[in-house]
Amino acid sequence: MVFSSIVFLFRFLPIFMICYFLAPGRMKNFILLLGSLFFYAWGEPVYVLLMLFSTVSDYMHGLLIGHYHGRWQAKIFLISSIVVNLGVLGFFKYADFLIGLLNGIPGVEISLLQLPLPIGISFYTFQTMSYSIDVYRGEVKAQKNLLDFAVFVTMFPQLIAGPIVKYHQIDAQLHTRKADVQQVYQGVVRFVIGLGKKVLLANNLGLVWSQISGGVVGELTVLTSWLGIICYAFQIYFDFSGYSDMAIGLGKVLGFHFPENFNYPYISASVTEFWRRWHISLSTWFREYVYITLGGNRKGLSRQLVNILIVWMLTGIWHGAGVNFLLWGLWYALFLILEKLFLGSLLKVLPKTVGRIYTWFVVLVGWVFFELQSAESIGTYLAGMFGVNGLGWADRQGVYVLLQQAVVLIIGAIGATPLIKNSVKSLGKVESGGPMLVFRLGAAVSIPLLLLLCIAYIVDASYNPFLYFRF
Amino acid sequence: MGEKKSAYLNIGVICAIILTFMIADLMMGDRLYSETENRMLASRPKFSLEALLDGSYTADYEAYVTDQFVSRDKWVSIKTRTEILLGKTEVNGVYLGARDYLIEQHLPQAYPEELIEDKLKLLNMPVEKWDAKVMLIPTADNIISDKLPAYAPYFDQRMFLDRVREYVGEDHYIEVYDKLAEHSQEYIYYQTDHHWTTLGAYYGYHAWAEDMGEEPFAYNLLGMERASENFRGTLHSKTNLGKARDTLLYFPETEERPVSLIYDKTIKRERYYEEKYLDTKNQYGFFLDDNHALVEIQTGYENGRTLFVIKDSYANCFIPLLTPHYERIYVLDPRYFNGKLEALLRACEPENGMEVLILYNCIHFLEDFDYYE
Repeated sequence: MVFSSIVFLFRFLPIFMICYFLAPGRMKNFILLLGSLFFYAWGEPVYVLLMLFSTVSDYMHGLLIGHYHGRWQAKIFLISSIVVNLGVLGFFKYADFLIGLLNGIPGVEISLLQLPLPIGISFYTFQTMSYSIDVYRGEVKAQKNLLDFAVFVTMFPQLIAGPIVKYHQIDAQLHTRKADVQQVYQGVVRFVIGLGKKVLLANNLGLVWSQISGGVVGELTVLTSWLGIICYAFQIYFDFSGYSDMAIGLGKVLGFHFPENFNYPYISASVTEFWRRWHISLSTWFREYVYITLGGNRKGLSRQLVNILIVWMLTGIWHGAGVNFLLWGLWYALFLILEKLFLGSLLKVLPKTVGRIYTWFVVLVGWVFFELQSAESIGTYLAGMFGVNGLGWADRQGVYVLLQQAVVLIIGAIGATPLIKNSVKSLGKVESGGPMLVFRLGAAVSIPLLLLLCIAYIVDASYNPFLYFRF
Repeated sequence: MGEKKSAYLNIGVICAIILTFMIADLMMGDRLYSETENRMLASRPKFSLEALLDGSYTADYEAYVTDQFVSRDKWVSIKTRTEILLGKTEVNGVYLGARDYLIEQHLPQAYPEELIEDKLKLLNMPVEKWDAKVMLIPTADNIISDKLPAYAPYFDQRMFLDRVREYVGEDHYIEVYDKLAEHSQEYIYYQTDHHWTTLGAYYGYHAWAEDMGEEPFAYNLLGMERASENFRGTLHSKTNLGKARDTLLYFPETEERPVSLIYDKTIKRERYYEEKYLDTKNQYGFFLDDNHALVEIQTGYENGRTLFVIKDSYANCFIPLLTPHYERIYVLDPRYFNGKLEALLRACEPENGMEVLILYNCIHFLEDFDYYE
């Protein structure tokens, strides 16, 4: 089930919320677990068992790691927990990729498994691993209550596309949480805004991208190729950050404080900054559990650069089992390393605009690797972007698409900056009198209107994918 | 009002929206068909364990709930209006042209080289064995391109027709494009439908007569009869936009002499025109009783000439104009015909031979032209 669907908004969500708010204190977690299992089973009627297996396995591992805390057995059980998690992830996500690579060796011929990828598996395995590691490190106590732990793993708001919640971030809220009316309202607003990002911006621009990339990639002019990848850049941002907004919003309604996942990444003036603002819950996961474990920057520059390389290869491969994702990770590793060596200090003395243009360039070329899977189409697309295919700067169709999308692109560009947020914030500071009433009235009217508009777009949606479901 | 109170109120509004539509939706009955979208709507899927486990049940259920959502038509129209507000000049593959013109979109990439080659090859048999003439009519986007939105792309049918001319040879090619382009400022395409008008067909007829060396019949443009003034065609159905209504006209001269038609070897008629369609959405069906596999026409002109037309719906308003030139006209729409084309041609051919005409619009030709050898 996706959030931007009639079934979710007009069946699941109201029924779930009514049950949840009617349920007394300790029953709430039970309702949340039931709702989450239904939510997941709706899309994955078979793999829901895999998720339950994962839950029980990590629950028991947690208890054992906690029990043996500080002794050698704890390490054994931590390793076993990680092996189980990575084993599940590896089997379902990477087995065919590895088999494909092995088949490249002459004489080796293994048939592919061709298993469909369980939705959200990359997200929930990372969450449960964070739990085992947190318990091992003694940062949290092992969760004795299976229900509370199951809620942590299966919770439907962020189950299938993050943010990846680290266990220590919501340990206490699993047991007791309070949602006052203001927080619930903030959650509702956040959810509707996320829905709008997804349905109004991401789907619209995604359609342009799929038309451009779905056509004959070899026949794109410079204008059309850049337009296409810019539309994709906006699509993936509004799609994913919209989903995170909806997850965080739903979390707030239920009384949870999920970590932020995006912080206007497209205003970054360096690649390093971009990765502090993009998919924050994933990059901090790798930072906390891999980069720092490998020694981070404490073991000298050369070791640090190797660590960056490892982390970004893993980040790339986390997004999908494909060489192109590996290349995408390495592409970022290259610029992160260059920035550590000299580029970072150079960018600091240059005007910010230069840094932004450079970052946009790296990111956009990165998206080409990311989205076009085969080496051939990546090559032809880049050829189009840099005008080496001899088709010239622009054609009629490119200008037409630009004119068609101009308004949406401008709205998207504004939405990708903190402009609106900052002006709302400064307006919100007005304490009383006429301006305050106008401000409140504006919010009170615009959010329901946005919701109605989203419904119209969902009802008539021919194109409504969630990009991060593939990961 | 305190902050807390206003928060309650705002949450209440959102909850009210969701609950109202949910309850209204649950109370609404299901529809089979959407008039405005011109398509069958999804119906409640049958539950089975198998369908549940392979995920098709929940997917079908989502499609069902979305299709049957309360006031679906209004939501769709809100979306369309928003899109236009955001500067979109196309809806569902239809360009919103100047002066209320709706123009069907045909993107260049939809007609790749291989497709063109395949279709051209299909002309070999009729052209080589039956000396068929090929008359392909450009669609509105090419002829009234001045009414398209700025920079709107379209499949260039001038270039395509030059290919056709080269392929079949000058003797087998009937040039219509130039004639229509000369008259592009007249009412030769409907504003709400993808067909050409009777006036367009009239110019097509003149182009045909010129190329064939026939003396054109003196149809009186000022004497055209009005069949309907409130025609809203397929492009209106696709967009639900535009205030324009089209006028259906026909030439009364085509009924000067008694004519007899046999549709699909069973239904007999004495007119080219069927008024019953004028009360339906499909008013273009007025011409030649909409779509039939085979129509056999006996005109009142006893000149011994026979014509066999292989055609799409563009021909329906054109064929009556050929009346004075032939004694018998066979009209075949291969989309509805499952037999072999050559066998049918042989069966229809009288002893003194017959002429064959392939009459399509360029797009239907590329998308639909096909037959069994």
